[in-house]
Amino acid sequence: MTRRRWPQVTAGTAALRVVAERGSLAVTLGFYVIVVAVLAGLWRVAVGANGGDIAGYSVVAITWYVVCTEATTVSLNTRLIADLGRDIGSGAIAVELLRPAPVLGVRLAAELGRVLPRLAACGVVGALLAGLTAGAPPRPAALALAVPSLVLAVACNIVAQHAFAGVAFWIRDTGSAWFLYQKLVFILGGMLIPLEALPGWLERVASVLPFRAMSYAPARLAAGNLEPVLLVEQVAWLAVLLWGAGAVFRAGERRLQVLGG
Amino acid sequence: MRGLLATFRNALAEVRANRASFLSQVVVMGVNDVVWVLFWVLFFRRVGSVRGWDGESIRLLLAVITCAAGISLGLLANARRVGNMAVDGQLDGVLALPVPPLAHLLLRRVEAVNVGDLAFGFVMFAWAGSPTIQRTLVFIAVVLAAATVMTGFLVLTGSLAFFAGRNEGGELGFHAMLLLGSYPVDIFAGAAKVLLYTAVPAAFVSTVPARLVENFDVGNAFLLVAVAAIFAVAAWAAFTLGLRRYTSGSVWTRP
Repeated sequence: MTRRRWPQVTAGTAALRVVAERGSLAVTLGFYVIVVAVLAGLWRVAVGANGGDIAGYSVVAITWYVVCTEATTVSLNTRLIADLGRDIGSGAIAVELLRPAPVLGVRLAAELGRVLPRLAACGVVGALLAGLTAGAPPRPAALALAVPSLVLAVACNIVAQHAFAGVAFWIRDTGSAWFLYQKLVFILGGMLIPLEALPGWLERVASVLPFRAMSYAPARLAAGNLEPVLLVEQVAWLAVLLWGAGAVFRAGERRLQVLGG
Repeated sequence: MRGLLATFRNALAEVRANRASFLSQVVVMGVNDVVWVLFWVLFFRRVGSVRGWDGESIRLLLAVITCAAGISLGLLANARRVGNMAVDGQLDGVLALPVPPLAHLLLRRVEAVNVGDLAFGFVMFAWAGSPTIQRTLVFIAVVLAAATVMTGFLVLTGSLAFFAGRNEGGELGFHAMLLLGSYPVDIFAGAAKVLLYTAVPAAFVSTVPARLVENFDVGNAFLLVAVAAIFAVAAWAAFTLGLRRYTSGSVWTRP
């Protein structure tokens, strides 16, 4: 692996492994279909009972919204923080310091490689589900923007999870912290409920946190809202999160080298 | 029976050995469950009621399913691991013991984080279930029945791994049961609703028991007990038949 090619090689290898493990991919897709059916069903009934509109979302819009939020969630390894924390806490990550590539960079590339095939599969299945059960996307141009937004959403989430798990360099155990992180994305990221449907104060809190870049942004676009500024916001959050995760890992690795794993 | 009780006592002692970790995991699960309650509060605040379900009835449903999950995934933690253990050949130790293998397996491990579900469920019932002596007794009875359905279903789907050689079905069954059980079955219609009363009996781990607490009905109570018995027997049968195809994890027995 040359210095220049390690991100592509790492991500590509991880992606090929996911594609090769068809059983696991089938479980992911099966779970995705169930989640979408449940949540979209719930919201469709709710929108129907409220005169066909909740917080500006029609039945069609809310279905495409749910399809997107669930794709960004189901395609990820939900226990990434716990897995990372275990590797850091046990010192197993020390071996990775010997590689001629940054630990964080390799880990991010590998995780992104693992997520992208699952995201693509969920995206295709989700589009079919939404098209068949609710109807065509409300605004195809906005849906086109949702595609890069989906990739940015999972990238933001993966980087944030690394930054979050990086505290294991100091406290050694991230235990069940992933539960809490996941729930922040569920509510403040708009995964379970569109941010416009939250009470005003909570919506304002969510608007200044990075979680909305991880789920809400692509879903808002797929729901037919042509708002390219959401992509700009995602790129900005990605840069901030990369800086944060980088700072955490640099300090953590220094500590590991000084004190040992 | 004494052997099984001793096994369960050991499992409890093991999980309590690290008290700080045990308590922190219980608290984390409690916070996790609170977020679900928050979601439903926000949801019903926005949409009013949906097909007869409102904030109060959904809190009762959450109390039932968190208690059932606390028993099934917390106190009988290996219920969701049967498939992986079968595939990985981790049952050798159990088979050598003079105790019923499935019962021993289920009682041998307690998962601290899911014990938090159990605690949360009782707190939720005390808060939202308008507890009287009669309602509390019904609540405990339906929770036990719901936990039996859930455990039976998890063991049944996990035992398919004995025959398939893979555990994807068990994993999917686990996720489907937990997810579908967290929502009132009335939001579904047609074939999906039939599915939730049959192949993935999520209705019997949340909606049906919650309705029984709210409005006890002898017919539905018998139905719940019958379904629990069916899944318990089916799980035992699938596991016992599956054991005949089990291959040890020992390297000496691998082809």
